[in-house]
Amino acid sequence: MGAVVFNGCLIADEELQVESPVDLPEDLVTGIDNWYATLCRQDQEGCGIIVRVVEGRAKKVEGNPDYPINQGKHNVRSEAGVQALYHPDRITEPLFRDSTSGTFSPISWEDARKKVTDRLAGLEDKSKFLLVTQPLRGHLALLSSEFVQSYGGKHMAFEALERVTLRHAIKDVFGQDQVPDFDIENSRYLLSFGADFLSTWLSPVKYAGAYGEFRQGNRKRGVHVQVDSRFSMTAASADEWVPVKPGGEGILAMSIIYVIIMDGLGDSGVANLLTGGKGFQALDAFRPDSAEVRDATGVQADRIIEMAHAFADPNNQPSLAIGGGSAGAQTSGLFNLRAIYSLNLLVNNVNKAGGLFFNPPPPLEDLAKPEVLDMGVPASFQDWKDVGQLGVLMVRGVNPVHGLPAGANFGGVMDRADFVVAFSSFMDETAEKANLILPEHIYLEDWGDDVPDPGPRYETLGLQQPVVRPFHAGTRGFGDELLLLGKDQGLHDRLGLEGIDNPTYEDLLKNGAEKLWMEDRGSVRAATFDGFWNGMLQRGGWWDTEARSQAAAADAVALDTNWPDVRIEGPTGDNTYNLIPFLSNSLADGSLAHLPWLQAAPDPVTSVVWHTWVEINSKTADEKGIREGDMIEITSPSGTVVAPAYVHPAVPPWTVSMPIGQGHTAFGQYAEGVGVNTLSILAPLTDGDTRALAWAATRVSLRNTGKRIDVPRFEGNVPAFETEKGKIIKLALPK
Amino acid sequence: MPIKRIAILMVVAGGMGLGGILTLLLVLFIGRAWWTTPFEVAGFGGAPEQPIDFPHTVHAGTDVLVDLDDNPKLDDNGDEVHGLGLNCTFCHRNVDKGATASIPPVEQCVFCHKTVGTDLPEVMKLIAAWDNKEPVAWERVHRLPDSVRFVHEPHIRFFTKTGNLLPSGQQATIAANVCSTCHGDVAAMAEVKQVRSLKMGDCVDCHRDYSAPTDCTTCHY
Repeated sequence: MGAVVFNGCLIADEELQVESPVDLPEDLVTGIDNWYATLCRQDQEGCGIIVRVVEGRAKKVEGNPDYPINQGKHNVRSEAGVQALYHPDRITEPLFRDSTSGTFSPISWEDARKKVTDRLAGLEDKSKFLLVTQPLRGHLALLSSEFVQSYGGKHMAFEALERVTLRHAIKDVFGQDQVPDFDIENSRYLLSFGADFLSTWLSPVKYAGAYGEFRQGNRKRGVHVQVDSRFSMTAASADEWVPVKPGGEGILAMSIIYVIIMDGLGDSGVANLLTGGKGFQALDAFRPDSAEVRDATGVQADRIIEMAHAFADPNNQPSLAIGGGSAGAQTSGLFNLRAIYSLNLLVNNVNKAGGLFFNPPPPLEDLAKPEVLDMGVPASFQDWKDVGQLGVLMVRGVNPVHGLPAGANFGGVMDRADFVVAFSSFMDETAEKANLILPEHIYLEDWGDDVPDPGPRYETLGLQQPVVRPFHAGTRGFGDELLLLGKDQGLHDRLGLEGIDNPTYEDLLKNGAEKLWMEDRGSVRAATFDGFWNGMLQRGGWWDTEARSQAAAADAVALDTNWPDVRIEGPTGDNTYNLIPFLSNSLADGSLAHLPWLQAAPDPVTSVVWHTWVEINSKTADEKGIREGDMIEITSPSGTVVAPAYVHPAVPPWTVSMPIGQGHTAFGQYAEGVGVNTLSILAPLTDGDTRALAWAATRVSLRNTGKRIDVPRFEGNVPAFETEKGKIIKLALPK
Repeated sequence: MPIKRIAILMVVAGGMGLGGILTLLLVLFIGRAWWTTPFEVAGFGGAPEQPIDFPHTVHAGTDVLVDLDDNPKLDDNGDEVHGLGLNCTFCHRNVDKGATASIPPVEQCVFCHKTVGTDLPEVMKLIAAWDNKEPVAWERVHRLPDSVRFVHEPHIRFFTKTGNLLPSGQQATIAANVCSTCHGDVAAMAEVKQVRSLKMGDCVDCHRDYSAPTDCTTCHY
């Protein structure tokens, strides 16, 4: 009826017209979709995606079924890529800040480039040029590395919850520069320490796919034990969750090693090497029944012995131990992860199905150079604290002002720098402090490639192509701009592009692809280079399943058998707790806080949306008179934030947890003023060996402010229905 | 109580008045909807004025072309000039692929018109649009109400299948044979206009004749 009546309303004039488009794209059929393969750059996993494009507009992101990492699956972060493309707060033209009034005004690209090159060329001390980006891989790493070298500057990669300690541990235990491919799928017993691998850790889409096979595949079901100081999404999925005291993860792992060696399980040769030939007695400090171990880990001796026996049980092989997240974010982080990964050596699972596979270096020689691989390694917290007075600071696509704890004072570094250039699509806290903002294409509009890290255990080069034309006329590609900015410094020659007039980043990618084409191997082969290039574009990249790492497992290195230096900073006594910050499942470290779909995606454990909450144990909350929604003041030595309480029984009583990524003061209309910045109250402690931020080593006190809000959450707002007879939620008593 | 009675009367009268106004509005709305969608019922109105005077006779027709006074056009040799006889799908490329038949992009016109007829004023308008990269905003001739989803593709597929004869009794072998069933002999129209009512009754009649589904959701979804 309504449809009929409202036909009587006036019809807009435009609706009575039908436009001839100007151009004739050969693949554009009105109402028919095209799917283009490209890469997701929303997080570091780098999934292959296919994007549905209808009449030149990107509409929907799906996983690329061909791509080795995610094999057709994708996550909520990839899904929201289209919102970044059409975001109303995108910066659409270069902006220059007037030094007196402090306000930004538009400037042409030519003038902007000239300002940058003048500043760079005018630097007396070339080392005062610093380029800050996210960890870079593939040809963008090569290009940025050569660009920085051509100007004699430095580069630092930024990651809020950096994985510096993990990389060191992998290097120490396995002698590998690349993170190995963990074969969760074929494992029979998976022991994970703090690694939230189903949500945010390393390659969650890949692991989630593997986890399905692990649990429901066509063979004996694998068992997963999660040792975690927080009840994460991964802990919630595990067969058993072992709440460990923060900082005790390494001690627990050492205790497991002690039991394995003492009971004669596992490889005796490796046991010998790990203990420096002294046998289990060398690990005596970590006896599971000692009071120190129980106090440090909060885990009973029989549980430890049970885990050790299960891990080394021949019937449970192949077994696999992984660790990361909060387990590595302690002052004893490297100690923890070395002990955890050494467990793998004891069960001899390196380069075996169900264990872990080493990853080969990147496929092209240029991309495997040490200085190029370095571009993908994040700087440690200490490195950030050591940044001094800068002449030119160039920041690309990251937000260290928001993402670094107050102890690093990155805002101060920016204020003191003579000239700050920000390549940014949005006005975030970092761009706000820049002198010049150069708006970038969103990755769906730009070229690129990626060597996934961790890779799929064989050589892979993913290809990113623009699936749509740039939505705004005033944005440019970062790669293209670097080539222009470095032109006079001989950057083109350094990259082998001297034969091309005004080369673009696409030319650089094609140069690399041509070398791959000539090797005539892998997933794409063709008689001509054009055929090869089209094949790569169609499939979303190139990979060679035969090209695997040649490295054999290195000999085990003796473990550090001294009791680790576990320090936690903050108040002690009643009503104080270890703060466990965690990466948001949808917003990651906050770099995606500007996308409303992700703000509205419920957290997998609490179902809270659009907020920062503090998870408090229900019994503790009862004792302290805290109810859900009470605004709690959380105070650490570095600062205070106020967040609503979320009370649930699976929070270890000695901890409170808070997601990171919110509390933006700038970053568009959907991020500003939402939640609080958990990172801002972290104590500036670092791991003793790697100087990486010990982000799970802060202790806080709580105070109920007396104010109260309704926590915005999904849970409880929609009635649950019984689809079959029985309880909606099955309860099981803890062991 | 007279005051109370007056008050009740006023409320009733006011209510009736309001109801009457609302009913009148509803009737006006429905009337408007009926008479204006699709645009022209029973064939009145005519061809709308287009931004470029595009003659289908020249492009799609095969008859002898005539000038404004109905005299046949002659070429340099004195022979009569015929229309080109282009297949409809040469320009309306999507008719057998998607919902809309689609209007050709300017670039497609320019394939020929960068050399053909460049001295004609109407072609010059087209070239100007191409040079300025401006789309041409044609006036719609056929438009169904927003409540209807019409998809060309299945109709073309049905009628080009061997055995499914057109209402004219002929067998369509290519997509272009089908168009005139609803659109009339466009090839003979210098200015395109709507020739069938294209109201729901028209659709349903044809669907019944061919045992096509007549569920509401066939078109209204």
